[in-house]
Parts: sequence; structure tokens; C-alpha cells
Amino acid sequence: MLSMKNISKVFKTDLVETHALRDFNLEVQEGEFVAVTGPSGSGKTTFLNIAGLLEGFTHGDFFLDGVNISNLSDNKSAAIRNEKIGFIFQGFNLIADLNLAENVEVPLRYRGFNAKERKVRVERALEQVGLAARMKHLPTQLSGGQQQRVAIARALAGEPRFLLADEPTGNLDSLMARQVMELLEDINKAGTTIIMVTHDAELARRAQRNIQIVDGQVCDFTMYQGEHGSVAQAASAPGKTAEIISVASAVAS
Amino acid sequence: MFFYYLDLAWRSIKKTPFLSLLMVLAISIGIGITITTLNIYKMASINPAGERSSTLFAVQLLSQDVDTWQRINEQITYQDATNLLKSEVPVRQTAMFRTGLAVQTEDENFSPILEGVRVVEGDFFSMFAVPFLHGGTWSKQVDQEGGYKVVISEELNNKALGGGNNIGKTLMLNRKPYQVVGITKTWQPSPKYYDVNNGAFNDSEQIFVPFSLAPIEEFESWGNNNSWRHEDIRNYNDRLNSEMHWLQYWAELSSPAMQQEYQEWLGRYIEQQKALGRFKRPDAKGEISDVATWLTTNNVVPEDNKVLVGLSVLFLIVCLVNMLGLLLAKFLKRAPEVGVRRAIGASRMQIFSQHLVEVGLIGFCGGVFGLLWAWGALSLLASKFDLTESLSQLDQSMWFIAPVIAVSAAIIAGIYPAWRICSTNPSVYLKSQ
Repeated sequence: MLSMKNISKVFKTDLVETHALRDFNLEVQEGEFVAVTGPSGSGKTTFLNIAGLLEGFTHGDFFLDGVNISNLSDNKSAAIRNEKIGFIFQGFNLIADLNLAENVEVPLRYRGFNAKERKVRVERALEQVGLAARMKHLPTQLSGGQQQRVAIARALAGEPRFLLADEPTGNLDSLMARQVMELLEDINKAGTTIIMVTHDAELARRAQRNIQIVDGQVCDFTMYQGEHGSVAQAASAPGKTAEIISVASAVAS
Repeated sequence: MFFYYLDLAWRSIKKTPFLSLLMVLAISIGIGITITTLNIYKMASINPAGERSSTLFAVQLLSQDVDTWQRINEQITYQDATNLLKSEVPVRQTAMFRTGLAVQTEDENFSPILEGVRVVEGDFFSMFAVPFLHGGTWSKQVDQEGGYKVVISEELNNKALGGGNNIGKTLMLNRKPYQVVGITKTWQPSPKYYDVNNGAFNDSEQIFVPFSLAPIEEFESWGNNNSWRHEDIRNYNDRLNSEMHWLQYWAELSSPAMQQEYQEWLGRYIEQQKALGRFKRPDAKGEISDVATWLTTNNVVPEDNKVLVGLSVLFLIVCLVNMLGLLLAKFLKRAPEVGVRRAIGASRMQIFSQHLVEVGLIGFCGGVFGLLWAWGALSLLASKFDLTESLSQLDQSMWFIAPVIAVSAAIIAGIYPAWRICSTNPSVYLKSQ
């Protein structure tokens, strides 16, 4: 579903070249729940921005759902973002002036759905996150966890093929973080592919696959056993993978 | 999407009312001044003859000697006027001038008034499409033999005769009884193109009497009189036989062939006059000018007006530059929200359009306020600086032109800020919001 081969991303200034990603290779299959971890400045967000078509890349090949992403026009990129990708941000990024229904409706507007279709989808998405009764509320009238659920509803309303979540629980307390995580797991079970950047080792363990990015490269990955593999299972495995998981846990903590 | 953008624009304006008001004020003042000058220019440069513009011709004769003024005069002499009236080429024609007469009625309660009067041929009314409320012009016989007939305006009819159909009634002009044969509807061509020498934007006359009465009643001229040589004019007959230019002359020539024929006729007339000892200059000639050319050559719209319009447009540009700065500040402040919209599927073009709609809405509000400024400015000019009514009326087209100019100008000013905001990298703001 998502295939990156030898992707590199270089930020240039007059004096310095910064390699945010270098020879970055990754394959994500449909229906996977992938957690991306790594130290600060390792390239996680750059990877997510490229995966979400928010930024271009310097070299390499990137296929998303079979479409070659290189040299896509802005209109096509926007259409793909709108139809196939849902975003969840650490800071929720709801539009403060719009009520919940209007926030969820935004991507549907750009998609060109008529009012009736928008209404159905908005109601369905807000029901899915348990906030259908608060459609007319403004984001500022909600708690952080509720705001993140609205952001998830907005991401889900367009029925995207995969969700990109950038530290979705970073601004939430542990209880709310757990609720949001359970919601993401439910969404994944329903068939939506999820790629989640996180510093939280506990959350990363709940994903099916854990990818570690160090210095702009995929250092290694761990495939957990079962639906919700545990650290103990992965860490007990011999070799480099176990070390990486330990490093990741240490960094996250 | 347009209505969605409109909704967002309205919310944005409400969210920053002070900044939005500043922008609306900036553009409205620019539009107000531009529309004021444009309105005066437009009203001054209207060709009121409409479709008759190309068939009505002012006639001029270059008749003076070479050692005096060189330009061809806008007016002609009485003797030339009476000679030209004998031509059978034009469909209709009229010599005319402005005079003034004391008006009285049989009503003893009506105080005599001095009114401007136009002395014309009977064809004047059909040539210049003067609309009649009652009656019509006098007969050809009156034109040839003289007759005390008068056509008056609806306004004078109401004032002097109490209104209604007063055809056949008598109006006293300089204590002579004139029979009312026609009452015109309100008629105010602006500019008053049939006589631009006597105030092109003055009100048209309310009384019209036959030209054939001029030598009988010895009507004074209330217009410009131009003499190119000294003549000992002791009485009205001397005036009529002099080389003084004081009459306007118009001919209706309905086709290019007729115009050509009339030019040739004028050529023959000049040769005839030369043989009689007049028109001594070698380049003596007759000229005919249609209404549009006539208005241009007589500088009915002063060059100053064009300069004024240009200056007001420059002022509008200054207002727009101010608006551009305010827009840039407002839009860039919204970059995080734009980042979110871009992330969830808005294309650059959609963001660009959204912001241009907002700019257009601000421009539209500015246009509406600008119209109010213009209306106020014209009223002020009319009351304090004696600007004539025909120039101080806000032309109906301005209700359309002002918003169009305002919206277009605002959009031009908004292109750069809208482009800047739609070009920002969304990922920069998503993390930091």
C-alpha cells in the first residue's frame, strides 16, 4: 500500500545541507498498524510529512496505493490527501471558529460532497467517536481527549485508506491517551491502515509493527506476535531487534 | 464552494472587525473619490444626442479675413444663417441663438419674470428630439413669414399658466401676445450640445420662439458675439448685416452621401460669397461636425477633468497598497489554519480562491461605502461649490461601476497576500499549532 524506496530528503540553506532522510526504505501493507519511533530529530516527522504528501522528497521512489507520487501536481496531491489519507495531529489542529460538525465537514467540502452526503458522514463520524450529541459545540468547549476524538472523526469522515497520526496522545493524560489509542485500534480493526509516530513505547508496543528511525534511516523493525504483541515477547528475541527495542524504550522513557 | 468561501469570509471579517473596517474604509475612500471624479467626467462627456449623434451636424464657416483670428468660429453671421436656411440639401436645419424676454400672463397675480429664450426654426424640436406633452411646433409658414407662436416647457406651463393643456392660450413676452402651440416635457440634454458657447452644462431654455421673429422683434443676443473687424453697429439691422458671429447653426444630414452633397453645397456657397466680396481668405471653407466631434473640438469635457480622474485613480492605488499590507498581516496570521486545511485536502487553488473571495467581499463592502462617500461628496460639491445639477447627480451606472471597480481593485490588491498564504508549507504549522 505504501512503498518508499531509497527516499532521501535534504534541507538546504546557503551554508548547510541537512539530510532529514537518507536511503529510507519502507513497505506498509494494507490493514497494518505501524508505530514509528525514534529520537528527536531522527526524521520521524519528515517521514510522516512525505508519507502524507505534505512535503516533497529529494530522491527515491514513493508509491502510495499504486500511484507514483513523484512529480504529482498540487491538485492531485491535495486530492489524494483528501480521499486516501486522514491526519491526526498531536495538537489536534481543529479550526477554532468552526463547531465540531463544521470541523468534521471541512475535508468533505473539499471533496465536493453535497450537503446531504456531508451531513450523513459528519453524523456517522461523530457517532463513531462518541460525540454526536455535541455537534454544535466549539472545540474550546471540549477537553483535550474530546478534541482529539473530533480530529479523528474529521480524519475518518472521508473514509480514508490510511491514517497518519503524529503523536496523537502527546497532549493527553494517560486515561484519555488510552481511550484514543483504543479508538485507533478499533479503526484499524475495521480495515484502515494506520501509521503512528510516537515517543511513547507503551503505545508503540500496541502496534502490529514497530519501526525505528535513527538519523533518517529505518534502523530496524519489529513484528510483534499476535494482535497485541508485548515488549517481553519482542525483547526476548535474540539479536539486533531486541537491542533496538531496548534503545527505543530508553529514548521514549 | 463559492458560498462556503463567502461564509468563511464573513466569519473572518466578523472575527477581526477592526482590521476589516480599516480595510473597508481604505478602499471605500479610494472608491468614493474615484467615483466622484468619474461621475463628473462621465456626466460631462455624455453624448446626449444618442443615435442622432451621427446625423446632426454643427455648421461652421471660415469667413473672416486672414489678418484676424485664424480658427474657425463656432458660430456664424446672421446673413450666412439666412442664406444657409435656403439650402434644400439637409433633411432639417435650424439657425438659433439665445435671448431673454419678460414673461407675463393674463393672471394679475403672476409677477413678471425674465426668462432665457431660445430663438429657433420650427425644425429644432424634431431635430433635437424635444418631447412634447401637448401640441407641437409651429408651421413652416411661421418660419417663413413670422408669427407670434411660442413653445414652452412643462415647468413654465405649470408656473405661469397653472398647468394642464394650455395650447392656444396666450403668453405675454416683452408685452407681446404669443400663442402657445406646444408644451414640452422636461428636456435637459447635458451637455447642452446645441449651444456649447453659453454654458454647456446650463439648464436648457423653457421658452422657444420663431427665428423669423428676430428681425421683427429685434431680440437681443444673450450669448457670445464675436467680431473679427470693427463695424459701426448702430441698430439691429446693422447687426443683422454685420460680420458678427453670434448664431448657432445645425443641419440634419441623414446619410454620408447627403453629407458629401452638403459639403459641396457649402463650397459653392463660399464661392458665391467670394464673388460678392466676402470670404476673402484663400482657405475659406465650410465645416460640418457631428455631435461627438463637436463636443470634442469644443472641449466640452475639460482636460482638467481627465487629470482629476487620473489623480483619483492614483489615490485609489495608494489605498490599495495600504490594504495589501493589512491583508498580508491578516492572512499570514491565519497560516496555521491554512496548514490544517491543506493537510486535509485543500489544494493551493482552493486556498487561493477562499482568500480572494474574502478580499472580494471586503472590496464589495468598500464599494458600497464608497458609493455613499461619492454621493455625499457630490451633494457637498453641489451645495457648497455650485456644481450644476446635471453634473452632481450620481449616474445610475455608478451603482454598478463602483462595486465592480472596488471588487476588481481589491482582488488585484489581494492576489499577492492570497498567493503568499496558499504557498506556505503546511507542515511547518501543523507541528507548531
